[in-house]
Amino acid sequence: MNLATRLKRFALGTALAAGLLSGVTAADAAEKYKIFLSMSYIGNDWQAEAANMIKAMAAHKSFADKVDLQVQVAGPNAQRQIQQINAMVQAGADAIVIYPISPTALNQVIKNACDKGVKIFAYDGDISEPCAHNISIDQEEAGRVTAEWLAKKLNGKGNIVVLTGVPGTSVDQLRTKAAKDVFAKYPDIKIVAEGVGMWSQAVTRTELSKITATQSWDQIDGLWLQVGCYTANAMQLEAGKKPEELKPCAGEGSNGGRIQMLPIGTEVEGAASPYAPLGAPRISYASPPYSGALALKLAVQALEGKEVPMRVTLPLPIVTSETIKLCNEGTWDEMKAGCNAFLPSLVSNPGWFASIFSEETPEIGLNAALVGQPEP
Amino acid sequence: MNDASVPWVRRALASNSGVLIAALVFAVLLGTVAGINTGPLTYFDISFMSSGGATSALAAIGQTIVILSGGFDLSAGAVISLVNVFLAQSMDPANMEASVLLWSLAGIGIGMLCGAFNGIFIAFLRLQPIVVTLSTMFIIQGVTLLLMDKPGGFVSPSIGAFYMGDAIPGWIPMPLVVVGGVLLAWAWLKRTRLGTAIYAVGSDPDAAAAVGVRVPFVRFLVYVIAGGCYGLAGVFISAQTGSGDPLVGNPLLLSMFAAVVVGGTRLGGGRGGPLGSAIGAYILIIVVNILLVLNVSAYYSTIAEGMILILAVLAGSLSRSSTLARQLRIIGTRLSARRAGTLVKQRAEGDTRLRLAASADQPAAGERPGFFKRNADVLRYTLPAYLCFVLVVAVTQLWLGGALLNTGYWNSLVVLSSFLAILALGQGTVILTGGLDLSVPWTIGLCGILLAGMVKGSDAALIYALPAVLLLACVIGLVNGLGIVFLGLSPIVMTLATNGLLQGVALLYSNGTPDGFSSPMLRWFMTGKIGPVAPVVLFMVLFVIAAVTLLGRTPFGRRVYGIGNGLRAAELSGIPVGRTLILVYVLSAVCSALVGILLTGFSGQASLGMGDDYLLPSIAVVVVGGALITGGRGHYLGMLGGVLLLTALQTFLAGTTLPYATRAILFGLVVLGAVIALRDRKS
Repeated sequence: MNLATRLKRFALGTALAAGLLSGVTAADAAEKYKIFLSMSYIGNDWQAEAANMIKAMAAHKSFADKVDLQVQVAGPNAQRQIQQINAMVQAGADAIVIYPISPTALNQVIKNACDKGVKIFAYDGDISEPCAHNISIDQEEAGRVTAEWLAKKLNGKGNIVVLTGVPGTSVDQLRTKAAKDVFAKYPDIKIVAEGVGMWSQAVTRTELSKITATQSWDQIDGLWLQVGCYTANAMQLEAGKKPEELKPCAGEGSNGGRIQMLPIGTEVEGAASPYAPLGAPRISYASPPYSGALALKLAVQALEGKEVPMRVTLPLPIVTSETIKLCNEGTWDEMKAGCNAFLPSLVSNPGWFASIFSEETPEIGLNAALVGQPEP
Repeated sequence: MNDASVPWVRRALASNSGVLIAALVFAVLLGTVAGINTGPLTYFDISFMSSGGATSALAAIGQTIVILSGGFDLSAGAVISLVNVFLAQSMDPANMEASVLLWSLAGIGIGMLCGAFNGIFIAFLRLQPIVVTLSTMFIIQGVTLLLMDKPGGFVSPSIGAFYMGDAIPGWIPMPLVVVGGVLLAWAWLKRTRLGTAIYAVGSDPDAAAAVGVRVPFVRFLVYVIAGGCYGLAGVFISAQTGSGDPLVGNPLLLSMFAAVVVGGTRLGGGRGGPLGSAIGAYILIIVVNILLVLNVSAYYSTIAEGMILILAVLAGSLSRSSTLARQLRIIGTRLSARRAGTLVKQRAEGDTRLRLAASADQPAAGERPGFFKRNADVLRYTLPAYLCFVLVVAVTQLWLGGALLNTGYWNSLVVLSSFLAILALGQGTVILTGGLDLSVPWTIGLCGILLAGMVKGSDAALIYALPAVLLLACVIGLVNGLGIVFLGLSPIVMTLATNGLLQGVALLYSNGTPDGFSSPMLRWFMTGKIGPVAPVVLFMVLFVIAAVTLLGRTPFGRRVYGIGNGLRAAELSGIPVGRTLILVYVLSAVCSALVGILLTGFSGQASLGMGDDYLLPSIAVVVVGGALITGGRGHYLGMLGGVLLLTALQTFLAGTTLPYATRAILFGLVVLGAVIALRDRKS
């Protein structure tokens, strides 16, 4: 399709849609790029946070007059995402930002979209179709680095509990396998229980309750959880452990977990146990929720004709007890200076993901992740 | 309607009204998309849409045949994943020209094998379809993950080119031909003796058996045929995606049921057909386009879908014989009766019972039968769960140690069981009336989020937050109940729609990130200690006593069983069916809300999706505990046994290092084993 017809169809389409729904004049709309976001399930913290950051990016002053962003949800069903992406192509999308439900199931529809000149950007999960841009962390690195930290912390010896993510997903398989490869190198490290954590604090709670029903905390020396160190620490306190006795835990970048890493006695506004400084021995990593916003930014650059790499491997955000630092406001500038945990008075949900800083996205800070408000 | 004077057109219209309305709804939706979209619908659009809905349509056709025979199949999504993964794993990546026929037959064959597995247990061992297929679902999911633990593999482009291509280029896309072919095959089958037998078995198995239909054999074949449909759906999704994904089929399950109901098939069997379901599947997939062209915001999408579901089903049932029309007529009759002063309530009081023979009021001569004899039936279907439970605890003790004499073990077991035990009362009562409550997940989620949001860590706030949340639950139950009783919607449709509605409300309320956290007292209630046990353990003792009393010793309980044994009979015996049903759904919602509250206390905060893991288990424990999914039979203590069994089993599995796939298979096998022990021995 040549540019002229595309522009024409695009102008016509937005004019119709605008006339029906928003009242923006056709002239305004015609200059904007039409970008769609195809999300998966929105029923969890990570997804909602990522969506907020994407919306904030689109609303930032450097993009507001360039981007017309429409957000759609496909749910957990790959069939629907296929249908949705195609409907977006038909609706005249210039670019589609996708949280892929499956790395493989979307390949055909994405190839079809690429053939029509639509730019495809996938965040967090990868799409194996070569014409799609992928923005995510190296999952194997995440598994390896955290497992190595735990092994070192235990001096290569001890009983550990492992909780995986959602079984059958690439992300979970890559992380868990990399971690187990590390543990296999230490003959004295023994995995005494392995559960399915589903990347959820609530599931972690029930799984760990089941595990500790038959094995007491005294028999466990360390934990490797994809999500749930915050909950694990809370449960140890409930079981009568003192903060100094908390087991080393390799896990997610939830703000609750980060606050627990602060030295005991740190003055933190809004803290209440277990969402409080405990000096917990931790390594905290995350699949950062800013990846979607970065994907949107790159999509606009690609539409403007700039060269954009097909694969962007995000730096793995790692925070340990040595590098933990509290933010006061959570602006991008403050995070650039090195802070990585947020006041409970600002972030009341301890399961909220705190890895929101990227060198590449000065447009978005704490408010973007919380309420979809860009940096001024 | 059999009157010969009625013209055939009207007869055909009446008997196919479900299909016609579904087709009409689809046409309206398609028109909407075409009208708002940028240009007219091209052949490409039609072609793409036809492939988008084909997988669901094929699976829904299979599911419909099962439902027509009075069954239920939860393994459908898992079979689709299995076939997809099998194809992607076994095809040679170097062979770009793999045989379409061969691999299609392989996929269909696998589906049929899975169906045969279901069929053997359901038809010949007379186990309940819902629990057999639930077990097979877990087993098949486990096998699928053993075959392929992450997305990947390769499906030859020749398969994709065939199924995604054109039958007549520019005119008829291949997916429509495939779906059409299956429908034609069904149309042929329907006219054979087997087809008639399927409808007969679904309408009334006893009558069918009496006229010489071999009921078990027909049932067995039904699951095999349905398995074949799922297999073909699996082949189709492989063609569509060109690769394998072990999770691809699982989320199709709920939308498959929605497609069946939207297409005009009645759950429970005997009425409807696959054509309507296929159209229903396309309606559900085109909703995606509708939401897009109307630019419905993400948070509202589940609400919009729920409304579309309800409206589509309502549209299908609008006629003089519909429940809504009947309810309106009844209200009219009652009003005129009141004016005339002939309402039962307005008549003079006094004992107007017929005087029966005197012996009826006196205990029969002879000894009262012993406890075991009187409760033989109840014991037979409640004991197996407890026996299996004891077995699992014994295995835990032998394998892991630290169970039998460890108060910590028993405490954790009861605390973890408490959620399902409470849900079992709600879901169990609904199932006793022959219904099903699918709104459990987001009733839990919304109530938990609201509570945490109101409490924000303050014990004092519990005083108003608890009643407020429970009141909300009453409203949710009331909405479910009213939809089912007054609009005549099937419980599955109504509660599925409510679930979507509640999800939307939860997202809007929390703006995607729920804040607030539970108060110290609520946390203590779940995780603190009174002596050796958590306070919630003592609460559960009271709860169980109350639940047993409610179902076994109150008029409400008797009415519930009455309705489950026969709606019409219950109505004629003077049971206020409507009022009781509404109360049942209110009870279920209140139980869900209670679980939301306790989960919030247990986790310390509420999260979106916190109830998602409780829907299928809440149904499973009820059935494992001896209740009939069609209603009328079951005892709360049996359900409690089911809860203990499943929780003990999960606790045992969590303490091992078995991979998830093996666990899923074990879990399925144990559930299946438990119900084999429950087998109905009468023919």
